[in-house]
Amino acid sequence: MLNQLENLSREVDGRYASDAELQFLEDYMRSFHLRMQTYQKLQELEVTMVQQAYVKMRSADASIFAGNNREETNRKCQRDMVGSLRATALTVLLDDPDAHQERFLLWLQSMMRSLGKEQTCNQLYTAYQELAKQHLSPAQAELVCPILELNRRMTGTNP
Amino acid sequence: MVITSSQQHLLKLKHPKRHNHYGFREFFQFDPDKGTLIDWNDGQNILTTEDFIIGLVEGLEEEVGNSSAAIMYSIGCEWGKKDAFFFEKWFEKEYECNIRQSNLSFLLETWWWPFTAQGWGRWEVDMGDRRQGFMFINIFDSAVARTLGDVGKPVCYLYAGLFAGFFTELVRKQLSCIEIQCYSMGETYCKFLLGGQDRIDAASFWMNEGATARDIEKRLRGGELLK
Repeated sequence: MLNQLENLSREVDGRYASDAELQFLEDYMRSFHLRMQTYQKLQELEVTMVQQAYVKMRSADASIFAGNNREETNRKCQRDMVGSLRATALTVLLDDPDAHQERFLLWLQSMMRSLGKEQTCNQLYTAYQELAKQHLSPAQAELVCPILELNRRMTGTNP
Repeated sequence: MVITSSQQHLLKLKHPKRHNHYGFREFFQFDPDKGTLIDWNDGQNILTTEDFIIGLVEGLEEEVGNSSAAIMYSIGCEWGKKDAFFFEKWFEKEYECNIRQSNLSFLLETWWWPFTAQGWGRWEVDMGDRRQGFMFINIFDSAVARTLGDVGKPVCYLYAGLFAGFFTELVRKQLSCIEIQCYSMGETYCKFLLGGQDRIDAASFWMNEGATARDIEKRLRGGELLK
């Protein structure tokens, strides 16, 4: 959305935008209420989703959050799980997957690869998608799941 | 290149623990009144055109001839050494962790991210041969090679020096670096070999004999060195 707005302001410099060029704004306005609702719902569900994703991942692989200092590893993992959920929620609100990719995912991808955590990311974003379908309305889940899937594809797979 | 600045990045003051801050608008802070551009780590940045890079490389060549490669390498080396200290400072502040206690791959990725944001290109480090005392670094979209285009020879001496300088300080052991494949030779990306002087000399000799990057990798992995 923000990228599209920026493109629009560049493209239409000195003239009026065409209907086709303004279509994305109409689409955004039409989806705004649902986006806002979804954003607020994700905020409300944050603790539940992080905890349930954590339990799901632990039950699938007991060693998943193991580290030299278990408490510290758990704390960092849960902080990162919260961070990625908030970034996803913001992307849903702003309808800006390009900015999400540029500002968050490319960095996260390189970091997760350097730590060999692709499998963990794969499990996390799969779990989040399942939980989104469980806790959100179908229309809300339809907005969130493609972003979670983008997160999974970018960070949860080997090149 | 980064020069430490006395100014402070305002967004960083607001979010000092934020790690993903490499988007153009977050990483850089313009001050139109002072005409300055600082980055997240309070380094002073300068925007340059491709003409500047051409002027730098060709001007130096005109002044000192073939020595320009060695000069660019030395500049890179000094830059890398200084940057190692600069990096150590901001890494420890941001991650509250000593660089020597950090995971090496993670540390290196973190080091290179500001360079990516500044336009020096993306990278990939191949540490598979680290225990044998050498490693390879690939640079995609080198600012120097991209600017100079296909000139039929390696041109990224500044990068080679940067890696040699930075890694020498990081591992506290004298290391050298050579570009064994370059975008300016018609390849799709640049490849650097980092290691002790004996290996770099061997690679340089093999390159002069016409060896490709792949030949050099194979010979090094086979344990070959100059007699």
